[in-house]
Amino acid sequence: MDGTAAHPGKNFSKDDIARAAALAASGDDASRVAFRVYQDPAIYAAELERVFYGPTWNYVGLAAEVPNVGDWRRNMIGEREVLLVRKSETEFSVLPNVCAHRGAQICQALKGNTEKAFMCPYHQWTYDHDGKLIGVPFRRGVKGNGGMPADFELSDYNLPALRVAEINGVIFASYDAATPPLDDYLGGDMKHYFTRVFDGRKLRIVGHHRQMIDCNWKLQMENLKDPYHAGLLHLFLVTFGLFRLDQKSATVLDDTGGHSALTARRSSPDEHVGNDEIASYTPDYALEDPTLLEPVMEFDDEMTLAIQTVFPSIIVQAQSNTLATRHVIPKGVGRHELIWTFFGYEDDDADRHELRLRQANLMGPAGYVTLDDAEALEISQRGVDSAPPDNEAVLVLDGDNIGSTDHLVTEAPIRGFHKQYRDLMGREIANAL
Amino acid sequence: MPSDTAAISTAAKSQRAGGDLVSLARRIERLQLDYVHRIDDDAIESMPEMFTDKCLYRITSRENWLDGSDLGVIRCESPGMLRDRVTAMRHAAMFAPRTIRHILSGTLVDRVDGTDIHARTNVAIYQTSADGDTLLLMAAIYRDIVTETPDGLRFREKHLVYDTLRLPDSVICPL
Repeated sequence: MDGTAAHPGKNFSKDDIARAAALAASGDDASRVAFRVYQDPAIYAAELERVFYGPTWNYVGLAAEVPNVGDWRRNMIGEREVLLVRKSETEFSVLPNVCAHRGAQICQALKGNTEKAFMCPYHQWTYDHDGKLIGVPFRRGVKGNGGMPADFELSDYNLPALRVAEINGVIFASYDAATPPLDDYLGGDMKHYFTRVFDGRKLRIVGHHRQMIDCNWKLQMENLKDPYHAGLLHLFLVTFGLFRLDQKSATVLDDTGGHSALTARRSSPDEHVGNDEIASYTPDYALEDPTLLEPVMEFDDEMTLAIQTVFPSIIVQAQSNTLATRHVIPKGVGRHELIWTFFGYEDDDADRHELRLRQANLMGPAGYVTLDDAEALEISQRGVDSAPPDNEAVLVLDGDNIGSTDHLVTEAPIRGFHKQYRDLMGREIANAL
Repeated sequence: MPSDTAAISTAAKSQRAGGDLVSLARRIERLQLDYVHRIDDDAIESMPEMFTDKCLYRITSRENWLDGSDLGVIRCESPGMLRDRVTAMRHAAMFAPRTIRHILSGTLVDRVDGTDIHARTNVAIYQTSADGDTLLLMAAIYRDIVTETPDGLRFREKHLVYDTLRLPDSVICPL
């Protein structure tokens, strides 16, 4: 199984990557996307460098997952393994999980607590919560023999800590000094939707799911920017009125186009129009135990669904009372891992917690809704893989608009994603010239 | 009904005596075999009737289990919710068909607690796609609470807890 051990992006030279990035960045019409960006392993390697390790904020976890000082969790940014560490009541660090000595993986468990220091098991080099090297065994040798050279300075071998930013208990990290501050990176509208869910209340972790999906990571992100499919593919959503193209709704993009939010208000069957265009609509379908579909209002606004994507790789899901982050981790050009972190709020009562557990049936690797998604994504990858690289996806629903709309019959968020993707893939080429 | 009560009381006594739980384990093994064959033989419609009216069925990861999380990949609180899962699989979801194959180990009875029998059964679950490729979907354990009823043994709780950290494919039906 490829877990964290697979690093297919490693097999390319700088020149390969530069050529691939230029190819991926080409094309100024975001309503056409060449299949090669889902097929080409060199483009995948370029994405790691220019998107994931470039000027982006990457989700690394929730503060509630590391509740105590010294708590840490392993996570991934692209193919690089990192540790999210709570170093104080209010501060976090993100460190490479790679010893500065010989490169051994420092922490092997999924999570843990270390009161003061991380110790590499191999030669016991130890680091504090900021990644500062604080101890090296036999630095002075044994009885005057051996040991480190006189000019060996611990401070030359600190773990290179990443930049860290947090909004209300959601933690992001960046490798690039040029990444704008997180607030600016999100922009005002996106921060509004983000802080609608992450409103400052302490979170309660409900649980995790992890699954592998055999498709390119971008297809997963695009799927959450695609209201068109959601109103057609998902019988559960359209039949029970959880998400329909005829609902009072909005599609919101930030200025870069890279982030988006889709919102909708739950409707009753008598409000529905266009059922004859929805093959999956099944008027006679009913649940024997309908408690799954009995939500309570979660937020002060009337929106019962808000799906937000933050470029490049995090989705925030607020469907009725089921709240989760979905973290997309690339695992090669045709695979990704999806980590679901379901959460509620620390002030949830027992009834609300039960609702979250029950409605979680809609989501995850067996979700009434997301089971369809995984299947659609895998058949997308299969189809794309068997077609020539110059063939193009057609994204012309709602014209060539790359902006917000007050309806859902649009592919604007996918066009926005590819606009931002091309900007990032092309940017370092321009710098290099 | 008196005979059922007697059976329970006998089981409880034998537990207290530290005595023979083997025959009880054999009965639960039979129940498990019956259960997995209803799924593997594509007769899953009759599976929910093996649960008591108040029940909890859950598939979850060992990660969640160790964290004390109640979350499930599938989580059903009644036989009705289980039947809804079956109906959805048949009629309401878009996916290519898969064949499921459970490989069970023997059952260990941990304890008998009143009418509740707490038992564990290791399981490997293989899945074969429409294209004929087989993969190991999960290495897992059933953590069950089985109870005597007038109709025989029934599952009151069934937790399928998988060791596999990342599910290699979707879970299309209760397992």
